[in-house]
Amino acid sequence: MVILDLVRAVGALGAGQTAEVAAVPPELDTIRRWCEQTGNTLVRTAFDQSGRGHVVVRRGRVPDPHLTLGPDRVPGARLWLYTNFHCNLRCDYCCVASSPCAPHRELGAERIARLVAEAADCGVSEVFLTGGEPFLLPDIDRIVRDCASRLPTTLLTNGMLFRGPRLAALLAMPRDGFALQISLDSATPQLHDAHRGSGSWAKAVSGIELALAAGFRVRVAATIAEYRPNTVHALHTFLDDLGIPRADQIIRPVARQGAATSGVLITRESLVPEITVTADGIYWHPVAATDARLLVRRETEPLRPALDQIHRLFTEEWTRTQTEFALFPCA
Amino acid sequence: MIEPLVIGAVAYTPNVVPIWGGLRDYFAGSDAPIDFVLFSNYARQVDTLLAGHIDIAWNTNLAYVRTVRHTGGTCRALAMRDTDTTFSTVFVGRAGSGMSGPASLKGKRLALGSADSAHAAILPLHYLRVAGVDDADLQLIRFDTDIGKHGDTGASELDAIGAVLAGEADAAAIGISTWESIGRDELMPGALEEVWQTEQYCHCMFTALGTLPRERWQPWVTTLFAMDWARPEHRRILELEGLRRWVPPRLDGYRTLFGAVAEQGIDASW
Repeated sequence: MVILDLVRAVGALGAGQTAEVAAVPPELDTIRRWCEQTGNTLVRTAFDQSGRGHVVVRRGRVPDPHLTLGPDRVPGARLWLYTNFHCNLRCDYCCVASSPCAPHRELGAERIARLVAEAADCGVSEVFLTGGEPFLLPDIDRIVRDCASRLPTTLLTNGMLFRGPRLAALLAMPRDGFALQISLDSATPQLHDAHRGSGSWAKAVSGIELALAAGFRVRVAATIAEYRPNTVHALHTFLDDLGIPRADQIIRPVARQGAATSGVLITRESLVPEITVTADGIYWHPVAATDARLLVRRETEPLRPALDQIHRLFTEEWTRTQTEFALFPCA
Repeated sequence: MIEPLVIGAVAYTPNVVPIWGGLRDYFAGSDAPIDFVLFSNYARQVDTLLAGHIDIAWNTNLAYVRTVRHTGGTCRALAMRDTDTTFSTVFVGRAGSGMSGPASLKGKRLALGSADSAHAAILPLHYLRVAGVDDADLQLIRFDTDIGKHGDTGASELDAIGAVLAGEADAAAIGISTWESIGRDELMPGALEEVWQTEQYCHCMFTALGTLPRERWQPWVTTLFAMDWARPEHRRILELEGLRRWVPPRLDGYRTLFGAVAEQGIDASW
């Protein structure tokens, strides 16, 4: 009697775990109704040609991604815009292989303004501008103002170019609804400069201090190839002393993307999508913005079809990953 | 810093850990922070409460009755689930058996759950006696599958149902929650049917010793009652624990169990 088998097998599971229960196709309707009545989830059926097989049932419902991820991280909450791909640095772990030689591939101020306006209408709550080095664009201040006038905006930069017209552009940027995210990998120059180029640490620190003094909210993001507690602790202490709140100190691993030859392997399944627009198309996530496997659409406008597609794919993926990776065969 | 209240609960399912971890997080920062201790059986939990090593025990109805008896009635009932106030026992037989009502069980083979299960062993016999069916009128088949857990796992009731389906018993006494978990007689048409259902009685109860000061338990109860099904972070815990809201104690719902325990000479150490 499949119901008793289900109650026995699923009842012994912890929430989120799954069990295989032997079944035959005529029992499927009963199994579905039982799952519906008891708040459990039928994950998968597997029957051979003779009609023998099993069902996989998850204890409880698939968790709501809004609760698990938080409202600021669900797909569609964030919009990433690659303003450009060229950069004054050639970091050896850059996930999109930016460098002074990289083709510029700029989105352009007009398109960015349209994309952000549509994003706001689609319910996006936050914009991130990245590159490349956005401060290489002569109109970056206008781009930032356009974005920040519609949605909270963060601009990612290496913080090394705050001089002359670029300093003027920085100072022309809004303080409200806007933050700078400056890259700094270590509390001392050695590690940072090893990846990002000699002398880059000192300039980045100067950039952080300048931006703070100018009244900007500054986040600092470190990209680390290998987690070393003492190194990370020293960086936190250093940033504490600079006056960066802990919530604005971001530590992230190197992804094996772009110029990086080692690091975390990235797949669509391993990334909660954050819609990312480049001049080349719309991608699943900013860390894979040159990875053809994570290209969602070649057309960058309108945004809505890509958002819908990402939401659909994510929903399917979420259901699958929330169940199969907790598989516990017990019958 | 407020000293956390230590709550005891029995680990009858892996979900006990996320339930109590979630409750600990919920109470953190309130006027009544908690920590919890998990036991493998209710006897140990009640002993530990009586010894004063925990402040509050999440008791089954039998564990509550035992605590009342050991404390001479000085213990304090604090709260229960809404679902604890409407518990009952259902007698089920094979569909088409023709049995209906308690008298139809006379002379039949009755499968019972674990002997320390109030809903699947102790109260079924009590209600049958009240209805005029003595133990001697029945052939009892006991499934002591989860002794110590007071029937919480439901495993012994599934064994009792299995015996009915296998033709090894004519009827099984199971808790209403188990009857609902198998979809009553709707999901297995032609398999089982309800023969008789007892009146409602109460099940689990948060229990403290009478020596626990009011200023310790009152804020905890207030905070507990503030859990809200409409809030997803609360609902996750409430769903796992099987309730929609916490309610004040309803002591009259234990009267029959007190009577049954005395009448059947239930082991005082359970």
